[in-house]
Amino acid sequence: MKVFIAGKGVISAIGNNVAENFATLRNLQTGVSQITVLPTRYAETLPAAEVKLSNEELAQRCGLNSSEPRTAFLSSIAAKEAIADANIPDFKKWRTGFISANTVGAMDKTETIYKYYLEDDNTDKLIEEDPYDAGYVTELVANQLGIKDHITTISTACSSSTNAMAYGARLIKANQLDIVVAGGCDAMSKFTLNGFNSLMILDTNPCTPYDENRKGLNLGEGAGYVVLVSEKVAATLAKKPTTTLSGYANANDAFHQTASSPEGKGNFMAMQGALEMSGLSTKDIDYINLHGTGTSNNDLSEGIAIQRIFGDVPRASSTKPYTGHTLGACAGIEAVYSILSIENGIIFPNLRFQTRMKELEFSPVTELLENVEVNHVMSNSFGFGGNCSSVIFSKAN
Amino acid sequence: MALYINGIGCISPQRTFDNSEFLAEVKEYATNRLTCVDADYTKFFDAGSIRRMGRLMKYGTAAGMIALRDAGLDVPGAISTGTALGLPEVSQKFLKSLIEVDETIVSPTTFIQSTHNTVSSNIALLCKCFSHNNTFSHKGFSFESALTDAQLLVLENMDNILVGAYDEVSDYKYAAMKKTKELRGEPCNNLDVYREKGNGIIAGEGAAFFVLAKEKTENTYGIFVGNKTFYKPESTEEIRNHILSFLKENNSSLKDIDVVITGISGAKETDATRIDLNKNLFAAQTIVAYKHLCGEYMTSSAFAFWLASKMMKSQQIPDAVILENRNRSPKNILLYNSHKHNHSLMLFKAC
Repeated sequence: MKVFIAGKGVISAIGNNVAENFATLRNLQTGVSQITVLPTRYAETLPAAEVKLSNEELAQRCGLNSSEPRTAFLSSIAAKEAIADANIPDFKKWRTGFISANTVGAMDKTETIYKYYLEDDNTDKLIEEDPYDAGYVTELVANQLGIKDHITTISTACSSSTNAMAYGARLIKANQLDIVVAGGCDAMSKFTLNGFNSLMILDTNPCTPYDENRKGLNLGEGAGYVVLVSEKVAATLAKKPTTTLSGYANANDAFHQTASSPEGKGNFMAMQGALEMSGLSTKDIDYINLHGTGTSNNDLSEGIAIQRIFGDVPRASSTKPYTGHTLGACAGIEAVYSILSIENGIIFPNLRFQTRMKELEFSPVTELLENVEVNHVMSNSFGFGGNCSSVIFSKAN
Repeated sequence: MALYINGIGCISPQRTFDNSEFLAEVKEYATNRLTCVDADYTKFFDAGSIRRMGRLMKYGTAAGMIALRDAGLDVPGAISTGTALGLPEVSQKFLKSLIEVDETIVSPTTFIQSTHNTVSSNIALLCKCFSHNNTFSHKGFSFESALTDAQLLVLENMDNILVGAYDEVSDYKYAAMKKTKELRGEPCNNLDVYREKGNGIIAGEGAAFFVLAKEKTENTYGIFVGNKTFYKPESTEEIRNHILSFLKENNSSLKDIDVVITGISGAKETDATRIDLNKNLFAAQTIVAYKHLCGEYMTSSAFAFWLASKMMKSQQIPDAVILENRNRSPKNILLYNSHKHNHSLMLFKAC
């Protein structure tokens, strides 16, 4: 049974919708710059990829109260775009799910309030929503979307939104749902910025994934969703789906809480599992959207695992030089980019790449490639806790 | 999809970590905040790890390991967990330090443990489980989603799924709950939370894990028949309809049910519906309550799952959990729990 992708929606540092993201990707413009929205002492020293709109502006666009978490605004904007794009007749008559991912819930709100709490644990500013209540954000948006048949949130660090898409596809295949809006969101927060900084894996310049001289990642924020539909729903659509979700796998590296194993065991298993499910061979993959964060550890483990599995490595690039690492949102955003790649026969380059890593025999794509045949795209996302997930998108026949 | 419960592990505010016991002694608390009775963690981790791990990381991981050992498994087929709030205490330590030093120098130790998937991945790390590893973090659907994930995995030809849930009461959450007047006023007694005139919940926490499998073993506790969640029901009537259709979908009906585990918590407003159902819909069933033992928290249904497992295997209902005794033996058990807009049903059958 096939699971089709009927719609997509995205917001990131390089655009507030799919069209803007696509234009910026083609223009090779980065979203990484000085921090201007998040109030942090690192505004001038640690570049990041922020959505260039204030909370008030975002809230106005999505119709939520401006006192709600920024993560919810991002989620709402991208999820609504995906649903509008799918344009499903009688949306309400189907069994519909909203499977969203995020890693720090309402953290951007709480880290402001927490200061008052530390001064006075009985302050009126306390909010009922816990900073780690990832589901709070999902329910705010589900209520707006009018989805109630199946709602849940996945939080497996940086692989979260791949797992959200896979879980959605599995519910459709098991005939429990007909439509699933799946993906993820995360807003910038001082918590994550300081956390990654304490691990010394943030680049003080715009990041250079897969480069021999890479210095770390840049954080980003955003949201990306796809509308997954069953064959039955797909048959009712005026706009024929261009893409299917043909494979996915979730594996665990079981090596270290925050580091990947040197041989990329989990990464290898995730890619292999996704290939097996899709029934494709390594030669069928036209493009890999790399996890490619720009950290020494990730790019090495991922690169070695790719070489081991593919031998002859297909065209590959990380789009994080455009968007930064958006954590729980990254696989949702990169799913949208992968689909754009298939729909437009285009491959986005790995910006700023200069020198091949000495351990690897392949380099990422460095120039925009247009008018190429892209039938199958693999997208990787790997996270803390050894969580490794890969997904494959295929051109629908 | 029906699965055998072949191993269990539970760490809670009661002495539940020893599977050879079943609520032999019930712990009474004179506070509105219940915390876990710790197991002997040296049986699971080396001294260095114990020092580094936060409280929830210890009891969450240990509960998973107890379930695995109970099932006689070294490595599960996959791991799926639920946690509403992840690891708030250790995360707030990080948040506190970064606020106090105004983002200058912070240690990564607590940040590393702050992601919601920390416990699930720590279990994978300890038992070298390289397969599927998921963490759902959605309020009162967190454990329920992990159960659905486990059922799908078995449909997809995996077996021996370690499924569980864990949560803790953080100081911040406790302060926030006090502020919203959700909590039972002190002094109070957990064992009287349903009977006292007072209003409000007792905050709780815990971790419970289970090995779910296709085949029965000598250690099998019973059958987990299925589950269902529903969001924001508009009336008691709608809840009734969900319960009845859930039973029908699982080829059962109300008359087959012997025991109902109710999510009654001591909060008058939400309990009104539960009491109505217990009186009118479940009039012939023995009604069992559990939140006086573990407190109220968003993944408390995992404690109820543990309770159902123990009742099925022992074929006993401890006096300490009986709310209404209609002298039924625990063969077919229905759980109905809710947390705000998240409603959950589970069905169990003794072997």
